[in-house]
Amino acid sequence: MTATMRADSDGTSRTTQTLSVQQALNRALADELEADPRMLVFGEDVGVLGGVFRVTDGLQARFGAVRVFDTPLAESAILGTAVGLAIAGFRPVPEVQFDGFAYPAFDQIVSQVARYRYRSRGRLPMPITLRVPSYGGIRAPELHGESTEAFWAHVAGLKVVSPSNAHEAYHLLRASIQDPDPVIFLEPKSRYWQKSEVDLARSGGVRGARIVRPGTHLSILSWGAMVDRALRAADIAAEDGVETEVVDLRWLSPIDTATIAESVGRTRRAVVVHEAARTAGLGAEVSARITERLFDRLRAPVQRVTGYDVPTPSGALEDEQIPSVHRILLGMQRVLEYRRG
Amino acid sequence: MAELSFPLPDLGEGLEDAVILEWHVRVGDLVERNDVLVEVETTKSAVELPSPVSGVVARLGSQEGESVRVGDPLITFEVADETAGIVGTIPAADETPVRRVALRPPDDED
Repeated sequence: MTATMRADSDGTSRTTQTLSVQQALNRALADELEADPRMLVFGEDVGVLGGVFRVTDGLQARFGAVRVFDTPLAESAILGTAVGLAIAGFRPVPEVQFDGFAYPAFDQIVSQVARYRYRSRGRLPMPITLRVPSYGGIRAPELHGESTEAFWAHVAGLKVVSPSNAHEAYHLLRASIQDPDPVIFLEPKSRYWQKSEVDLARSGGVRGARIVRPGTHLSILSWGAMVDRALRAADIAAEDGVETEVVDLRWLSPIDTATIAESVGRTRRAVVVHEAARTAGLGAEVSARITERLFDRLRAPVQRVTGYDVPTPSGALEDEQIPSVHRILLGMQRVLEYRRG
Repeated sequence: MAELSFPLPDLGEGLEDAVILEWHVRVGDLVERNDVLVEVETTKSAVELPSPVSGVVARLGSQEGESVRVGDPLITFEVADETAGIVGTIPAADETPVRRVALRPPDDED
């Protein structure tokens, strides 16, 4: 960690630092470990190694091996342990090392984590935050680049959240850990090393979606690593005089329909961008909500720019699967040039 | 920069420890991936261990002649942040996309 607290010339300490997403997440975990003695961090390689992506770097040395500990390579057991610890009054923050290895833990998450509050008539909340390095973009091997958000968002009882930059990563992770309900926290691993300003003291709000860039001609709705590409497409569109509004959903469950409807109600055109395969992806849900609310306002059908309906490819083929800035621009062109027949 | 610790790996055949015979690197050395780091001797054989990463040697976990248990720190590297423990390849900064689409602002009249 290279970031340090800086003192201004007048002696007041500033709370804004330049951090990478990985450093911001590390800081959020440390601050929550400090704030709440019930909080525990565990998973494969999170302790001695400090995490495959260094997100838990230094936490075991600082907080001890009782609160930050390595687990066996057994994802179902990691989540089963989290359930037991949550029932016993702890606040577990487990990590499943890579999106594709959350599948072995699917049963625990869907059958136990998501249901305990319902099953116990509200007596047993599950204050678990499951961190999952997610999405593609780093040309990793098979099962290391999956986009799993639609699975989790479909399960009632789970909250799903995904940050798009370091500031969001810090505040959304803290909010997720403080949340009494289980949160699936999807970290865009291709953004781990992206640095930006983080105001540790001021979050700017952590609930619902946020409008990242205002615009009047169309809205792009996205989340995670794709927010950055949406912004780049918006920059290019601006050269052509097209003013694009970019909305970062952040919470993929519950979806902030009000903010989406507010944005698209103004711009009257919408493009949803996500990495996951198209069929039954979260873009379909967002598109349906827009149509339900704004059928008469829309000037064009909602367009989706997504991955293809194939298993997530590994290696360089990933570049074809993940929406490029070019493909996002084509989606924007479809809504801008649509004419009623 | 970040530090990356490399523990003594499982050498197979149920062996739980090894003796450091000879270090081939010193603190401060720049090591390339797959360079030989150290020769260790188990009860079965002497083996050379290659480096899993490229980096600068920050610390050696044990001296020659000492015994190391599997999983104990063997060596610690200083590595660039973006190569610390990574699986896969960190993408370089996105290239400026080549423009192949011209957009027109909408002509909304109703």
